[in-house]
Amino acid sequence: MTRNRRPSAQTTAVVLALAEQPTAWRYGYQLCQRLHLKPGSLYPILVRLADRGLLETTWDNDVPAGRPPRHRYRLTGSGRALATELAATAGARRSDLKERWQGA
Amino acid sequence: MRWTRRRVQTITTWVVVVGWAVFYAVALARADELPAPEAAVMWLVVPPVLWVLAIRLVLRHWWSGTGSHMAVTDLPGRVLAAAVAALPERRREWGRAMTAELAEVQGRSARWRFALSSARAALWLPPAGGWPLLALVTLVVVATTAAGPAVDAAVPGLRVFAVSFTALVGAMVVVAVARSRRLRPRLPAPAPTVLVTGAVAAAIAVTVIFLRREPAAARYLPPAAAVYLAAVLAGCLWIALASPRWLGTSRLAPHLGAAAGVVFAAWFLLIVRADGTQPPPLLVFGLAVVLSLAPVAVFFVPAFAAGWAGRSLRSGLLAAVWTVAASMPLTYAIWLPEALRRHAIDGRTLDGELVAPVGVNLTAALILGLGILPVLGLTLGVIGAALGSAQRPAS
Repeated sequence: MTRNRRPSAQTTAVVLALAEQPTAWRYGYQLCQRLHLKPGSLYPILVRLADRGLLETTWDNDVPAGRPPRHRYRLTGSGRALATELAATAGARRSDLKERWQGA
Repeated sequence: MRWTRRRVQTITTWVVVVGWAVFYAVALARADELPAPEAAVMWLVVPPVLWVLAIRLVLRHWWSGTGSHMAVTDLPGRVLAAAVAALPERRREWGRAMTAELAEVQGRSARWRFALSSARAALWLPPAGGWPLLALVTLVVVATTAAGPAVDAAVPGLRVFAVSFTALVGAMVVVAVARSRRLRPRLPAPAPTVLVTGAVAAAIAVTVIFLRREPAAARYLPPAAAVYLAAVLAGCLWIALASPRWLGTSRLAPHLGAAAGVVFAAWFLLIVRADGTQPPPLLVFGLAVVLSLAPVAVFFVPAFAAGWAGRSLRSGLLAAVWTVAASMPLTYAIWLPEALRRHAIDGRTLDGELVAPVGVNLTAALILGLGILPVLGLTLGVIGAALGSAQRPAS
């Protein structure tokens, strides 16, 4: 069963960050730094996105000797569609707010 | 303060010795009848000596393996690794992902922040189970609610036990299903699992029989004792059906432990039945040696052997845990019927020392069989495991 509840602000930020360069793989720590999110917030979001088929994951074995392989992420087709939808909603909300501000 | 091995050993020794002395003094002060001086001294000295020995051996083992690198050990990494180890199998990949990212984080405080936050995430990742798991939880709640009145009608006095046991076993099933990738979990070791499961079933059956035959004995099973009985028996089931992963996957250890549990139960039955009989004089010396050393050997030997064969402390500890998990329900299952038999003969308790209501045996079985036995047995097992794993055979 899938839920159609609107994603949280943090989830939206993660999805939009991943959608900036949809074909590029991102690392967890990289996303933490980019979005100023703690891993305790980021990883549950990534897990939910992956569970819903919105996120593709793979292991990067091309790491310096002695380092473990890194997990990396990018959006799937459905994830990109969600990103487009979220970006449009965010844009519409911003313009709506701007109009109301100017009309006040 | 620098945590050297000597300092840790000294502190733990003092904590154990002083803690036990205070506990024992309070217990004696509250006791209705004081023990004989020799017995009092033995109980004051022997347990802390065994505990201190066990702790020192484990510390030595740990320190020689990883503890010697304490100064350079990555503590944030260890904290995260511990949290990740608790993840269910289907979430393990995410634990490895967080651990790998920690390797990229520079700076002591940044590493601590990342590790602690990741550990929190690891412990609170969204459960993977969905509707089947929710249905299972509902089933457990319904079964727990129904268990109380149903059992109370049949065996008054077992209501608290029934509710506690059903709830605990139900919770264990839910956790096991949530953590396992397969619907049908693979048993750690089929034969030992069947033995311990059967022993737990027997323990419950004899409790029912005991209370049906002696309803007045229900007052010797107050709610706290009933919950304790349920927790111990459910814990034994947990060991049998889903051995803790951190104890390793030795195939030998469960068999050694279960066999030792059977030997202990046989020894206990022999001691009870031999009480008051006179064996042939030639056998007296041999029996005295065997019967006095058997309980020590039962807990020490399998842990030593498993630790030695597996070249690991964990294998030895697993054997010790299995020994305790098998010996507790088996001993308890022998205790109550034998107590009924003995009480019918002369109205005395199973040890033959006290003319008392038969229900007193229930308290004794709980305290000695399910309380003191596992504490001392595990201590001997830890000592055996540490010594066995230190005697590593040449490969």
